[in-house]
Amino acid sequence: MNRIAQGLVLVLLGAAALGTTLASDLYLNYVQGYFRPFLIAAGAVLVALGAVVIAADLRSAARGSDRQDAASCGHGAEGGPRVAWLLLLPVVSVFVVAPPALGAYTATAQGPSSAPDRVDLSEYRDDPFAEAGDGPVELEMREFVSRAWTDEERTMSGKTIELTGFTVPNPEGEGWYLARLEMACCAADAVVNRVLITDEPAPEADSWWRVRGTWDEPEGDLQEVRDHRFTVEEMDEVADPPDPYE
Amino acid sequence: MSDSPPGPARPQASSLGDSIVADWDGPGDELPPPDWGRPSGPRRAATVWLFAILISAMAAANVWLAGGLEHEAFLAWATVFTAISFQALPFLVFGVALSAALTAFVPASFYRKVIPRNPMAAVPVAGLSGAVLPGCECASVPIAGGLIKRGIAPAAALTFLLAAPAINPVVLVATAVAFPGRPEVWVARLLASLGAAVVVGWIWARLGKADWLRPPRANHDPDATKAEVFRDSMVHDLIHAGGFLVVGAIAAATLNVAVPREWVNGVGDLPVVGVLVLAALAILLSICSEADAFVAASLNAFSPTAQLAFMVVGPMVDLKLIALQAGTFGWGFVRRFVPLTLAATLVFTFLIGGLLL
Repeated sequence: MNRIAQGLVLVLLGAAALGTTLASDLYLNYVQGYFRPFLIAAGAVLVALGAVVIAADLRSAARGSDRQDAASCGHGAEGGPRVAWLLLLPVVSVFVVAPPALGAYTATAQGPSSAPDRVDLSEYRDDPFAEAGDGPVELEMREFVSRAWTDEERTMSGKTIELTGFTVPNPEGEGWYLARLEMACCAADAVVNRVLITDEPAPEADSWWRVRGTWDEPEGDLQEVRDHRFTVEEMDEVADPPDPYE
Repeated sequence: MSDSPPGPARPQASSLGDSIVADWDGPGDELPPPDWGRPSGPRRAATVWLFAILISAMAAANVWLAGGLEHEAFLAWATVFTAISFQALPFLVFGVALSAALTAFVPASFYRKVIPRNPMAAVPVAGLSGAVLPGCECASVPIAGGLIKRGIAPAAALTFLLAAPAINPVVLVATAVAFPGRPEVWVARLLASLGAAVVVGWIWARLGKADWLRPPRANHDPDATKAEVFRDSMVHDLIHAGGFLVVGAIAAATLNVAVPREWVNGVGDLPVVGVLVLAALAILLSICSEADAFVAASLNAFSPTAQLAFMVVGPMVDLKLIALQAGTFGWGFVRRFVPLTLAATLVFTFLIGGLLL
């Protein structure tokens, strides 16, 4: 890989980082929202560095001296190793494939998650139902699932709750799941949270819905529950929310 | 996504256009041009044409494929691959920048004053300094390479490489958040990781040979300015480590999509096997150390010691990191360093896990 190819690869890689953050919201399919400034900065550095390398290479060509090529490093006159061409793969990925956010396929492949030992509910509002009175309360899917598994006081019981997620077919039995992927850092660590809905016909897989209804309180130990059930009163299809993950 | 190519493509097109024009105008004022018959001129033009074709092909493929790709497993793979690459990219770029700045602007005498000369004493200092600098494993590899170039004992630089991603404040806070009400988890993580890093450093100081590490790059052109040294060492590190980072991302994404989580949960009940399975999973999944605590917490079918193994092994040994180390230090290094590190992390996991968890 010669100097100008190295420069061009860096520019393209930087353009991929800038294109997915500045020109679109594509980056939200892959990483947490707080990565945006870091990706923009990294992309800008890569584009600038690549441009400097290209300019220096062309200048030395114009002078007729190829000092850098010879002096750049001890891996032969060409400079870079072949494996560096792989840096174009993420570029091709975002500009050609533009992979969508993970959805029903991943949620099905992951299967059920199991009850967490302990969840810190202090991260959420103390009592989300206190102010709302009888009105519906919007909960994140992960908060709903955490409460359904660990809240021994069962504060959600009988309350009208609003959840947003995408449709996942249930291949093994009745009903379908409304699911949402929870992401700590990037899509590689996404974990599925889901509720089972049996009283409405299954919409198309991967379509997004806002459902309003109530939690079907289980009889026995909360930790033994495999699927959290939800009774739907009303449901509306929504356009894809801007951030597909929670 | 039909609007994505024009946006980012515009700057490339202009720089490409400029570079082609500059290339043709530069040496070509008189005939024959002075570099006639020399390999680099035509090859440079060929490279530019190659990239022009590549960019056109990407734009064409984008239009042609628009919405037509429906293979779900492939798309899930592409998403996870892109996610791992993008998540690591800022850490890689700024780690490389810091390393290049160390190389270009900080005189070697500074390190000789700060870090003890004796490697045995330098190793714990390096391990503890890893607790101060936040950063992902992708950043620590080039920084360690930069430290070795500046004359730091390799054993100390390697201890820093292992400790920095495992015990920096961001990671420990993330661990405390992921395991609420259980401070013993992050304490165990800190002790096991620091212990493993320091022991590996001491073993390397005692037994390591200089030629196991690929020798640092030959000295720069003595005429080069500091800015040129900075630029060249940054490009060199990015090009060498970056390609291997992509190799690691490919492997991790493949395993992430191909291994069903149910298989993993099925072996959770077996005590020692569970620890080894989660250690293997940490190596294969290559999750960044700032996020792995959340994944470990979600693997609650396993014993606490197995979860600890996931968090201690992952930041020190994983596919992405092995590929990065190979790109920076060479395969001869990886062949010796990775098994040593893995053994040390497992020993400390069982030890600290048995004592605290």
